[in-house]
Amino acid sequence: MWIDILQDAFFAAIAAIGFSCISNPPRNSYCYCAFIAAVGHSIRYVLLNNEWLPIHIILSSTIAAFVIGLLAVYLAPHAKCPAETCLYPALLPMIPGIYAYRTVAALLLCLYHPEETLFGHYFYLLAYNGFTCIFIVLGMVIGATIPIFLFKNTSFQATR
Amino acid sequence: MNSMICKPTESSVYLPSIKELCIFLSDYAAGLLGCGATCIRIEKNITRISLFFGYDSEMTIMPSHIHLTIWNKEHTDSYSIIRRMHKTGISFDMNTKLSKLSWEIADGKIGFQEATLLAERIYHTSSVNPRVVLFLASCANASFCRLFGGDFISMGVVFIATLVGYYIKQIMLEDGADVRFVFFCSAFFSSVIGAGGHIFGWGTTPEIALGTSVLYLIPGIPYINSVSDMLDGHYICAFSRFMNAIVLTACLSTGLCGGLFLMGLGCF
Repeated sequence: MWIDILQDAFFAAIAAIGFSCISNPPRNSYCYCAFIAAVGHSIRYVLLNNEWLPIHIILSSTIAAFVIGLLAVYLAPHAKCPAETCLYPALLPMIPGIYAYRTVAALLLCLYHPEETLFGHYFYLLAYNGFTCIFIVLGMVIGATIPIFLFKNTSFQATR
Repeated sequence: MNSMICKPTESSVYLPSIKELCIFLSDYAAGLLGCGATCIRIEKNITRISLFFGYDSEMTIMPSHIHLTIWNKEHTDSYSIIRRMHKTGISFDMNTKLSKLSWEIADGKIGFQEATLLAERIYHTSSVNPRVVLFLASCANASFCRLFGGDFISMGVVFIATLVGYYIKQIMLEDGADVRFVFFCSAFFSSVIGAGGHIFGWGTTPEIALGTSVLYLIPGIPYINSVSDMLDGHYICAFSRFMNAIVLTACLSTGLCGGLFLMGLGCF
């Protein structure tokens, strides 16, 4: 379990660094992005995969994003950059890309199979994956943004 | 917050006219909007600077324009400008530097003329080396594949698919191609390479490799920004950012579908 958690944190950190560099962040923010992404993603991993009380992916993502938001607001003044600079790249590894891909795939299969039974099945997959994807993104962003609005003074004075 | 801002004294600080400040701030806001700052940040920074110089500001943030009016304290004189946003692409570095600049002005560390020069320099900040971005983005997408349960062979396939797709994106954008067409082409080539696992039977998770190969194109920051703007009540800007992201996602989905049909994987 510990190795799985560490592996999840490690790959989340690499994903955060790689995706953040696309958005041209300040150099000193890379390590903060990696740390926050690693903590956030491993929290989601534990919430999803623990044996005692596995939590649904939407709620897990929201809780993990809230922790990411808190960390970003706390660390932004140390990094001397806006909280979003640490927050958004750290959220990117949690973007539910596979659900988005499955939604597109199900949409194509719907169009490919006009027979009612198969169409109904693929339409179910389309709706299930689509709704899951939308609500994960919503939960993530709302969870991550709440700390910024709760601690406005800290968030918006980080670059002072 | 306002009480914490130092007020300039006429003897020590050059006080810009309403017109000068309006020109500077509209350019500043257009820069922030262009580099992907949230509406709440743009409003706070503009208010901070204008209050420091003793003026009031009113602003409308449109999808790709800023409409800014600066008033004197007595509300007897005003100046308005509509400025198109700078097309710099998302840049957290620029966002950080512009935010720092607003505090340096508000704390009285730099004067108006120095701030104008600094802002000009910030608007022309160079971005990260494209080859470094290419390599790191490919590593990131391969890691993404692992996070979704892909094996190491699938990670390799995704790395190559991203490397090729992202390189195509970079050279097409440099040539000034339409960004929607760029997304289509990048997704097409990445999905063709990503389908290699399926075609040649590489690894145990070819479906994950195929699904992940185009995920580096998902416009995550605009999606997050749109929800953030929505929470702050900037519905027009939120909707606009959301629709921009949807259009890009549709383009990459179309490219993905094209790649899948070409490789004979239309039925998955």
